[in-house]
Amino acid sequence: MSTEPQCPASPEPATGRSIRTRFFLSFGLFVPFFLFYMGTAIIQTPTLREFAMTPALGMPLGLLLSLMVFPLSWLLIAVYFAVWK
Amino acid sequence: MLNYPLVFGFIVFFVAVTIVITWLTQKSTKTTKDFYAAGRSTPWVTTGLALVGSYLSAASFLGCAGDIAIFGVDRIWLAIGFFGGYMAVLLLIAGPLRNVGSYTVADALHRRFPDNKIKLVVMIATVVISTFYLVPQMLGAGLLFEMIVGWNFILVTVGLGILMSIYIIFGGMKGTLYNQLVQAVFLFAAMVVITVLGLIIYFDGSIFKLFEVLSNVVPPGLAGKDPAVAAAVAAAPNAQAAVQIAREMMPNAPTAMTIGIQTPDMLSQISTVLALVFGTAGLPHILIMFYTVPSAKAAKKSVTLCIVSLGIFYLCTIFLGFLLMPEVYQQLVAWIAAGKAGIAKNMAVLEISGNIGGQVLMAVGAAGAVAAILSTAAGLMITVASTISHDLYKVYINKDASEKQEINIARVTTLVMAGVSVVLAVLLKSENVAWLVTLAFGIAASAIFPVMLLSLWWKGLTRQGAIAGIVTGLVVSSFFIVLLLSGVPKFMGLSTAGGPGVFGVTAAFAVLFIVSKMTRDYGPQVDEFMAIAHKTEEN
Repeated sequence: MSTEPQCPASPEPATGRSIRTRFFLSFGLFVPFFLFYMGTAIIQTPTLREFAMTPALGMPLGLLLSLMVFPLSWLLIAVYFAVWK
Repeated sequence: MLNYPLVFGFIVFFVAVTIVITWLTQKSTKTTKDFYAAGRSTPWVTTGLALVGSYLSAASFLGCAGDIAIFGVDRIWLAIGFFGGYMAVLLLIAGPLRNVGSYTVADALHRRFPDNKIKLVVMIATVVISTFYLVPQMLGAGLLFEMIVGWNFILVTVGLGILMSIYIIFGGMKGTLYNQLVQAVFLFAAMVVITVLGLIIYFDGSIFKLFEVLSNVVPPGLAGKDPAVAAAVAAAPNAQAAVQIAREMMPNAPTAMTIGIQTPDMLSQISTVLALVFGTAGLPHILIMFYTVPSAKAAKKSVTLCIVSLGIFYLCTIFLGFLLMPEVYQQLVAWIAAGKAGIAKNMAVLEISGNIGGQVLMAVGAAGAVAAILSTAAGLMITVASTISHDLYKVYINKDASEKQEINIARVTTLVMAGVSVVLAVLLKSENVAWLVTLAFGIAASAIFPVMLLSLWWKGLTRQGAIAGIVTGLVVSSFFIVLLLSGVPKFMGLSTAGGPGVFGVTAAFAVLFIVSKMTRDYGPQVDEFMAIAHKTEEN
């Protein structure tokens, strides 16, 4: 009798408009994060080494940007939960 | 050297705690819903911390910091790469997946496309990914304890297999979750305490002072390769003098803060990052944990807790790696000079633990490594057990299976899986199988993530497109891994050094899109599926 559990009755099924809103919010936050993340990874490569070694706040810029990935993600999460209803 | 009785005592105590937890949770594991999804009523805090435990392996606890300590700043991307994937999980996958799935990854896709072929291909991808992830964990555990405390390799792996089986057979998902929670808290606390104490004791709590010191250090990975430098470093009266001697003997060598020495070319770097980000969002043992919480909102909260915790953890591993380098410099250079890079990488964290807190903290570090291995391996094992019993046995072998039969099959699968992984670990002991984890991430990014993302967000995805995309991702990512392992540096002008990420992900998305545009089977109730996936969230 292994019946697969169905979702509980939805408080409010999403409409086309609300799905679009959620799409723009989710991807609107993920895309900038991903671009920053990928960009930071790319400047660590030998090709962009000179740029990554530029001093910034007592450390190489590449290291500073890499460490910034953590607070940036926490900031985006805060925005996500503030906007998402 | 490690204090054997103390380490043994810590590990025995730790294992005893997890067995008690399993015994306590056993009473509430009766139905398939309990076994696969912990009753779908687990508090989000529990699942969030269990996600941390499931994700952190010994490589994260010992390896990341050890690697940074040997080679310097270029190796921090190992820690950052592992972290970033959870943003994709939170923003794109967790909530809607929780709404449409039930027990396995295949369930969510099957709900949109009620076709057993979907279940079969996702089940195959799940087993491949989880097995390739599990075997290095078992092998790593055996090697780690053989190396640091001289324990027998086979006994360690067999013991690990038995423990995993006990967790899952008796405790199901609930037992696994609560054990992962305990292990995550232990790991997290150990990492934060060691790092904070190290920073305060050696650098007055200032990371800028640490960076200033590092800007003069020749990485041990370079200094240890020069016999004259290694000899001079070994003869130095203390670590600070050793650092200075190495710099004087290698005035033009890069420093620990020099970027772009160890990193690969741009395409390889992109490929690695793609695999890590999208692979995390496609790892079956991570995705099925969202079924254990009561709602999509709870799933998102649990991922958020996980992201914040992992962020702090990986920041600590980076700073720990940096502060390790000058403080255990002589030991690191000696290991590298002796050709023992593996020992250097895994022992560095334990060495600094001993320097900071004596034998007790060193034993805590070793127990932390056990915790990391146990929590990750348990999550992988229950994932395979669930998909075999729910997506294969129940669908293809015995459609009328009772709930009890289904759970029994999952338990038998657990035992078989434990046996297979132990045998594979023993057979592959002399091989470097760290690449299996890369393969797991690459396949997850290529075979699972694209189809999962599009099925949850794009009405235009068709059944044929989904199947073609999964198969393409699976085949292309495996193909590039085979090329990489065969020593083929390039294929059609493309470098294989960064693994399969960029190739598998691109091919899977392209095929998903093209085949979906050519066919029209969007699922019988695609509008209803989308409405449920993105429904208004209850608290």
